[in-house]
Amino acid sequence: MSQKENIREKKKILIVDDSEINRSLLSDMLSSEYDIIEAENGLEAAGILHQQEYMIALMLLDIVMPVMDGFEMLAVMNQNGWIKSIPVIMISAETVPAYVDRAYDLGVQDYISRPFDERIVQRRVVNTILLFAKQKELEYMVTDQIMEKERESRLMVDILSNIVEFRNGESGLHVLHIRMLTEFFLKRLLEKTDQFGISRTDISLITNASALHDIGKIAIPSRILNKSGKLTDEEFATMKTHTLEGAKLLQSVPMRENEPLVKLSYQICRWHHERYDGRGYPDGLKGDEIPIAAQVVALADVYDALTSERVYKPAFPHEKAVEMILNNECGVFNPILMECLRDSAEFLQEELETVSRKQNSQEELWGTVERMMEADKLNVSDRTVKLLEHERVKYQFFAELSQEIQFEYTTVPEMLSLSEWGAKFLQMPETILNPKESDFGTKVFSEADFESLLSKVEATTPKEPVLEEHYLLNINGMERWHRVIVRSMWENNNESPVYTGAIGKMVDIHEDVETIKHLRLMADYDPLTGLLNHKSARAQISAHLSDTENGKYILLLFDLDHFKLANDTYGHLFGDEVLKFVAEIIKNNIRSMDIAARMGGDEFLVFMPHKDTIEAQVKRIFGLLSSKYQDFQISVSMGVSDAKDSGGDYDTLFRMADEALYRAKRGGRNKYCFYWDE
Amino acid sequence: MTVKECYEQMGGDYEDVMGRLRKDERVQKFLLKFLDDKSYGLLCSSLEEKNMEEAFRAAHTIKGVCQNLSITGLYHSSSELSERLRNGQAYGEDIEPLLAQVKADYEKVRDCIGRLA
Repeated sequence: MSQKENIREKKKILIVDDSEINRSLLSDMLSSEYDIIEAENGLEAAGILHQQEYMIALMLLDIVMPVMDGFEMLAVMNQNGWIKSIPVIMISAETVPAYVDRAYDLGVQDYISRPFDERIVQRRVVNTILLFAKQKELEYMVTDQIMEKERESRLMVDILSNIVEFRNGESGLHVLHIRMLTEFFLKRLLEKTDQFGISRTDISLITNASALHDIGKIAIPSRILNKSGKLTDEEFATMKTHTLEGAKLLQSVPMRENEPLVKLSYQICRWHHERYDGRGYPDGLKGDEIPIAAQVVALADVYDALTSERVYKPAFPHEKAVEMILNNECGVFNPILMECLRDSAEFLQEELETVSRKQNSQEELWGTVERMMEADKLNVSDRTVKLLEHERVKYQFFAELSQEIQFEYTTVPEMLSLSEWGAKFLQMPETILNPKESDFGTKVFSEADFESLLSKVEATTPKEPVLEEHYLLNINGMERWHRVIVRSMWENNNESPVYTGAIGKMVDIHEDVETIKHLRLMADYDPLTGLLNHKSARAQISAHLSDTENGKYILLLFDLDHFKLANDTYGHLFGDEVLKFVAEIIKNNIRSMDIAARMGGDEFLVFMPHKDTIEAQVKRIFGLLSSKYQDFQISVSMGVSDAKDSGGDYDTLFRMADEALYRAKRGGRNKYCFYWDE
Repeated sequence: MTVKECYEQMGGDYEDVMGRLRKDERVQKFLLKFLDDKSYGLLCSSLEEKNMEEAFRAAHTIKGVCQNLSITGLYHSSSELSERLRNGQAYGEDIEPLLAQVKADYEKVRDCIGRLA
């Protein structure tokens, strides 16, 4: 489809009605503005929705239909979640209230009763499509906000979880109090003035950020942090650095330094000990030079410090704490914030107690998201999740079907993830840290193979990232050949690609390899006798001849006397038995360094190294061959040649043996001749 | 015969249908389509076979189409019949006069539409 057509594409309306006349009536009324798809009943409609869910802007649905009626169709749409992506207008002559109510319960947007009026139908359709679009838009907005929230809390968890182990015992409740107080003061402040330009979104951001106000304390030695007595001047100076340490920490959050949450946290960490009169630390900011977020958190911090028990002081009651702050006994604050404190004094104590009873902050945040998901307000992302889940199931199914072990390898951290099926099959965890030291890199692969595979992958390039190797793997104690296909992954870092890992799969090809091996063997051997065939014997003998070191070889070439007679008298099957019998004699009487082959027909050869007494050797073989198979008397005619005469050439050696064999035959058979005895 | 005359003779409401469907040609087109509709044949055959569900759907479809096309007489008779057939109620002799009325009305409608210019 060209782009132009795409732009002009009309919205699609699906009309589901069993009466052709009714469908075309509606189609007639709507076809100038919309593309019409028709279905005769619910089942047909469901088929269309399966394929074109996202193409259809609206559905007009009849109730009374054969096969699958309108209510059944609505039930199916609810099951599949289609009811959330496609608005439905019910059409029917039925005006029984119970029908209409049930249709609304099942999620229809509107109801058109017969008889159809062109203008009413058109207007209902337009309105429904518009209304639905509006709803969807709202849904997206809600989802966006939730995603934002989710992201914040995730970041928060990232940071907090990194530092939580360094924390001292005081912080758990303190963080909760600070969050609650910060939010409380900010809301009061917003009611009083808009001079700070704080929005509702900012309140939630600052509240989240407030939890991080003291993270710099991880840099303070616990000896100072938990000291019960008064700090020395030197110790206090160290303590003060937690503001700058916290700010430093936030600055180093990789790639996040521009996030609003990080920026606000930075302000809060650095400046929550500044004083409105300019006598605070670390920078001595004065008045509204201090960002409002830090001012609010400073007040919250002081209030909570006063009302909580600390190693160096008991908890003051609420009234006493408020009094002390208002009297500037614990620092100097923005007058407008003091007003906020005074206004909210009555509620504070109660609120704080309530908050204390709640669970910790992260759980609360996650809880919100979960609650919203439960309340089904997350339709859009819900559907996305469903689609992803669908893809995952599909992928998993095919992976399982193909019996492939799929894996993903990352260099930093060095980690290997196996597909669900693969992990189960190998009886290994899905995630393997340091694969080189793991069973995967030492047992499934041999250590050397795994090292070599990794270095080969790393040696690929972004242009040619795919690598295929065969490895003999140990799968649950069995040695099996696998084809390992790997694609290296690269990240572009200022134009120069950086190797980050690889994805790949391992496919069992053991059966194939075995088959090929077997076929290769078959090609080398004579199928009847199991001896080598001439072709492979020639190759092996040639190799020996060219190896001049072990120069002393003889070639024995022989055939069976009157073999034709055996065939003619007893039949070919018997002939084959004789050949096999002879082959067995040869096999049982040659040494491992000897080479024996059947040349075809009844002709055989034996190639063997010899000592000085050639004749004794030949005589022994010749004697063994002269035997009897059932009633058939076996004797051979044999020609022998010496490799030293051949000039290292197999064909010459063979020709010489053949000539000697010919002489033996001509000399009356049942004898051997040496080529050199001419 | 014009569409208006056709409506007068077959007991339909011309004003009503024009008010909703707006064009003579459109009304005529759907009247002709009505003759091709299988529902009437289906109604008769399924009642003979005592297939009550099928009969109900057929009567219901005729009713709906007549309503859309303001064929008032047939609408009323098919409407009465379809109420009698609703929810798969068993066959009974009381169905016969209802069916006879539908048949009479349908024949009249078919004749009139057949004579449309």
